[in-house]
Amino acid sequence: MILEINNLKKTYADRTVVNIEYLSVNEGETIGVVGNNGAGKTTLFRMLLDLIRPDAGEILSKQQNVAGNDQWKNYTASYLDEGFLIDYLTPEEYFIFIGSLHQMTETDVKSYLHQYEEFFNGEILDNGKYIRDFSKGNQNKVGIAAALMQQPELLILDEPFANLDPTTQIRLKTHLKSLTGSHKLTTLISSHDLNHVTDVCSRIILFEKGKIIKDLHTDKNTLNELETYFSG
Amino acid sequence: MGLLALYIIVVAILIGYQMENLIAHFLPGKDTVEVFNGMILYFFAIDFLVRLQMQELPTLAVVPYLHLNIPRSKLVNFLNIRALFSAFNIIPLLVFFPFCILIISDDYGTFACIMYLLVIFSLMIFNNYAALYFKRISAGNAKIVLAGFFLLVTLGLLEYFKVLSIAILSNSVFHYIALQPAFGLVIIILAVAMFMINAQYLNNNLYIEELKSSTHKKTGTDYPFLNRFGEAGTLVALEIKLILRNKRPRATVSKGLIFLFYGILLYKKDVIDNNQFWMLLFPAIFMTGNMIILYGQFMFGWQGAEFDGMLANKTNIRTFFRAKFLLLTISSTLLTIITSLYGLMSWKILAVQFAAYFYNIGIGTVIVLYFATRNFKYIDLKKGASFNWQGVGATSMIMSIPLLLSPYVIYIPLTAIGNPYWGLAGIAILGIAGFFTRELWLTFLVKEFNKRKYTIAEGFREQS
Repeated sequence: MILEINNLKKTYADRTVVNIEYLSVNEGETIGVVGNNGAGKTTLFRMLLDLIRPDAGEILSKQQNVAGNDQWKNYTASYLDEGFLIDYLTPEEYFIFIGSLHQMTETDVKSYLHQYEEFFNGEILDNGKYIRDFSKGNQNKVGIAAALMQQPELLILDEPFANLDPTTQIRLKTHLKSLTGSHKLTTLISSHDLNHVTDVCSRIILFEKGKIIKDLHTDKNTLNELETYFSG
Repeated sequence: MGLLALYIIVVAILIGYQMENLIAHFLPGKDTVEVFNGMILYFFAIDFLVRLQMQELPTLAVVPYLHLNIPRSKLVNFLNIRALFSAFNIIPLLVFFPFCILIISDDYGTFACIMYLLVIFSLMIFNNYAALYFKRISAGNAKIVLAGFFLLVTLGLLEYFKVLSIAILSNSVFHYIALQPAFGLVIIILAVAMFMINAQYLNNNLYIEELKSSTHKKTGTDYPFLNRFGEAGTLVALEIKLILRNKRPRATVSKGLIFLFYGILLYKKDVIDNNQFWMLLFPAIFMTGNMIILYGQFMFGWQGAEFDGMLANKTNIRTFFRAKFLLLTISSTLLTIITSLYGLMSWKILAVQFAAYFYNIGIGTVIVLYFATRNFKYIDLKKGASFNWQGVGATSMIMSIPLLLSPYVIYIPLTAIGNPYWGLAGIAILGIAGFFTRELWLTFLVKEFNKRKYTIAEGFREQS
């Protein structure tokens, strides 16, 4: 068990955003987090990354509370939004910086990026632009690639498919699937695209107003079930 | 930076009102009106170059309206009028108008005075739109500024070797206006023409891509010198890039360099001779630590946009603080080396400045970083620095009190029981002690930061 959440609560001005009694995530699972806007997905992710203080409860990552503890940073990589990028750097500089935090040399980073050339589609590297001058989709690519580069055991991505062009969406999907096979990676992905999450994830958790209302193992009926819920 | 703008305006007003006395003081025996006339074109020549470098193009203000049903001419007018709201346009009026009203009207009559005012106003308008126009049409404006700089140096040399004199030209132009006020119309017409040219250009080129200043290929940079400091060095390199590649921090830091001239005004001979170091201490602290004060007051708001990433990544908060210490220490060291030139005036100045330097790196840095853990205000790096109040809050104001007063708390009693040199030594020793106990302060700052890190991150997420 890599993640365990107990009685987690977060309220903003009388509105409960996250209210999870218990949730556990096993190593190697790929979990899709779905729910309408305001369901608490991003707030949950921020609490997982110790960016927001929970009002009550705890999140244990490898049996250690994430709040006030840096241990989880050694094996957790994430990309939630552009706030995770350093937008006045070129993508190369950013990758090298992130790499340096994980003791990767410049050569390590360059050779690693080599395998992402297809994913980048020639639009990221050697473009002579700072990250802030890229389109949102391309900024997303930088953030996702930087997260994957850290070779984490726990990967957290908030709406990774948003803003990506169709080709890149499909490439990202294939890549995420191949990662789950190759090494022990636990992934949490939130998305509004039900097709993509049911395709990639082995388990889907459905949130409504901060509560888990469905926790499913993906099979051929899952997509239908979710569509029924969301059209209701 | 609001304080700096306010300061410059106050100085401009003082210069304006004291113009006659200042001229009499610095150039005794010369005709004040002649000197004043000679100055005007000089001022506007320099003003033009500074504008090319620093004045902002108010182009992006128009973006949200471009697709709406608003006539193009109205948008152009909006841009043109908005361009007038700039500190550059107030300063010449504050500097020159009082003298015109007080002296010129007495000597040459009301009509001449009104013409003087109109002509100076027109020159301001001319410079304003000419600078914007050149900025818009020039692709790499750095080259133009460089060319302008050389032009100015050339003119200065010509003036020095008495080949061609702007001062004489300026003097004769304004002398002529004083005698024949109607002649001033020529300059007014020039200003109107410049306005029209600029408006016409905007009207024909109202496309965002074309209005933005040029884009050239960006490449990565490395600061090998910082590698020896390990991870903290990497973070310092990041922050140097932050400063160099974003408008507001760049303007903040480069404006800080203006304060290096403080010494010329405040290091007075009689003060040095009488060992009245308390009068030198303030400028010394400000000059050797101006980056600590001016840049440090908005920490960590500069990194507001990427703060979530900083926290979620594998950066250690202790290293983060260590990097801040390193950055501020490097800046203060460089500034101290530059200001050591004042040592040519007297070795006592070096003593004061080094005491100030040790204070800045040992104590000043800790004070600034402590207040940074209480600052929740995001800074938009893209905006300019002049008249920009974003991020200015109670914290940044309160911060300057302990920062600038605590050296006196040590200096005054030590001077009272001993002599002024004891006071300086006390400040230096305290600073050095602070420097060598840095690990303790790091622990303290990290603890303070962890108490409030969620609030800081939340404040930066609001981005307003």
